[in-house]
Amino acid sequence: MEISALWYIAQGVVWTVAITVLSFLFGALGGVGVAGARVSAHRWIRIMARGVVDLIRSVPPLVWLFIVYFGLAELGLKFSPFQSAIITFSIIASVYLGEIYRGGLAALGAGQIEAAKSIGLGRPDLLVRIIAPQVLRTVSPSMATYGIGLLKDSALASTIGVVEMTFRANQVAQNTGQGLTAFAFVGVVYLLLSAPVGIWTRRFDARLREKYLVA
Amino acid sequence: MARETAYLSAQHITKDFGSTRVLDDVSMDVKAGDVFSIIGPSGAGKSTFLRCMNLLETPTSGTLQIGDFTITIGPGHKHATKKELATLRRNVGMVFQSFNLFPHLTVMQNICLAQRRVLGRGKEESCERALVLLDRVGLKDKADAYPGRCSGGQQQRVAIARSLALDPQVMLFDEPTSALDPEVGAEILAVMRELANEGMTMMVVTHEMGFAREVGDQVFVMVDGRIVESGDPHQVMGDPSHERTKQFLSAVLGR
Repeated sequence: MEISALWYIAQGVVWTVAITVLSFLFGALGGVGVAGARVSAHRWIRIMARGVVDLIRSVPPLVWLFIVYFGLAELGLKFSPFQSAIITFSIIASVYLGEIYRGGLAALGAGQIEAAKSIGLGRPDLLVRIIAPQVLRTVSPSMATYGIGLLKDSALASTIGVVEMTFRANQVAQNTGQGLTAFAFVGVVYLLLSAPVGIWTRRFDARLREKYLVA
Repeated sequence: MARETAYLSAQHITKDFGSTRVLDDVSMDVKAGDVFSIIGPSGAGKSTFLRCMNLLETPTSGTLQIGDFTITIGPGHKHATKKELATLRRNVGMVFQSFNLFPHLTVMQNICLAQRRVLGRGKEESCERALVLLDRVGLKDKADAYPGRCSGGQQQRVAIARSLALDPQVMLFDEPTSALDPEVGAEILAVMRELANEGMTMMVVTHEMGFAREVGDQVFVMVDGRIVESGDPHQVMGDPSHERTKQFLSAVLGR
């Protein structure tokens, strides 16, 4: 296979990374809302949040992608393939990351929150200065694992025509008949993208454990 | 004259968890500078009562008064507003059995956080105050350490400093030595004794009978969510009148 064909595939990495990073960021923010709703003091908010979380997790990401891209278009809400991918993956990421946050919140224990309240800290300070830093530390490995999963899921966007890596590899495979080379090449690029995330998270986690001397 | 009026007062505090009544019409008046000990068997509601005093636990009904601040809770009354909660908690310090220092902040940051965010003190002022308090509890050299690098006894002393940094008018202690070795617990009791001598108003839930007897101005015996006996510690502990107090004291004192 010619180098130019591989270069053509590699350029799709921009879209792959854009989908992954943007969806992860929106999901990381949306997840705060999901986790908040899941532990809300109001029973009905908790029940509704639980329902939404279960609904989103029970349907395959590919089906959600088609619902957003093809389904919403029927209702007059037209999004570009790239926009559809961002919307779909952001919503799915919000749900999964929200559940990860909720786990971290449960591990935090009531003592920290009570101590913060007892010295008069208000809700914003409680969230930003006490809860968030501690929960983010404990859940950072799980978040990284989810991020790597999201990177791989971003390949689904090829099915609605986002010209990211997998889409381009498929084009090259169709045109040259050299599917093995084309797809093995994208496989390696996915590996090269995800490996540093894993390594960096493990180091980050180990460093913080050492600093705070916590389990 | 001022010392005669009740400074800290809890009237008819009742608390239900579901259908279980854990506090049943508990009332208590503390004068400024008094040290009150609350003793009694496990599960009697001592900690729950203490936690009602700064509204970490919301009573089902009752009235709280701390200094000029009064709040009545129960059917027909509004919930405490954010402002009321802030006022109350700024004036009432609390020390927990499990220390509850913030593990991601240094000792100094633990003590400065609320000074800066709640009292609005500047960086320098809060640091100075923190160092004075750390010196007082003998931990000036630990200012830049994270709590994970401190022993249990050191952590509890930092927790006391963290509460004192807000210059509270009342300090609540919820079994502050129960998670510590007796020897280390003695260090904490020494710090508390010093605070009491300086005139701090204190409410202490404890299993340390020696502390209750020697430092306490009054002792309250709580059993099954009620105060069954109260008064001068020497009187109550030396010659208890209530059958349940006798049982409890003979169990903990081994006689």
